[in-house]
Amino acid sequence: MILTVACAGAFALGVYAVLVRREIIGILAGAELMLGAAAVQLLVAGSGEFAAGASSFGLILLVVAAAEAVVGLALIVTAYRRAKRSRIEEFGEVSG
Amino acid sequence: MSAHDLAVASAAALVLAGAAGTALARSATRLVLSLGAFLLGVALCFLALGSPLLAAAQVFVYIGGVLVLVLFALMVVGRGDGESPRVESRHDPGAALVALGLFVVLAIVTPKRPSGIAPPEMVSPLAVADVLLGSGIVAFELAGVLLLAALLAVLVIVKSGGER
Repeated sequence: MILTVACAGAFALGVYAVLVRREIIGILAGAELMLGAAAVQLLVAGSGEFAAGASSFGLILLVVAAAEAVVGLALIVTAYRRAKRSRIEEFGEVSG
Repeated sequence: MSAHDLAVASAAALVLAGAAGTALARSATRLVLSLGAFLLGVALCFLALGSPLLAAAQVFVYIGGVLVLVLFALMVVGRGDGESPRVESRHDPGAALVALGLFVVLAIVTPKRPSGIAPPEMVSPLAVADVLLGSGIVAFELAGVLLLAALLAVLVIVKSGGER
């Protein structure tokens, strides 16, 4: 019970961070909050009969979150090196 | 209240405190420290829910890897004048309302594990391997492809960034 409420709170705080942060790194941290909360909730829902399956799926979720974080950080560092900008509203255009 | 319930409550408190710090901190250093506390709380939750493999992976991959990468990115993006970079926010009642509504909905609809029951049995890495290499083989292979794609994407992004 307490874990579910904590996960819901962490997920909501992640959504809030994504909505209000101006720096890209803050938005990425918000996404990490959402993924972490989802992983814990997955284990809460799967505890008992489906514990091994939930742990396996949690491990795959961990891989997805790590890949997202690494690509996001590479984008942040590259964008800053190119344009010396790190705020989300300063990126009005996207070029290939 | 049993020792297991106490451990679960401590892990939940760490998760919530870390998440609040990550969402609301104004200094980048505090943001990273709060994110570290959140990730540690998540690892403790995994342990309390009977998954030591996931807890170990969380500590090694996130606290030992991703958090260091975030620190590295902050050092690159920082102003270099010795002060901790600011992480600005545009606090908005609408965003707070959306987050609050989401919290209420999630707290109501998501499945719960009642407190006071016996702690779950530990899931052995062998059982996880059985699932991953059995019925979950497609997801396991896709995760490997995703990691390879992420590695290639980072190489392309960094290379294209250095050409200007």
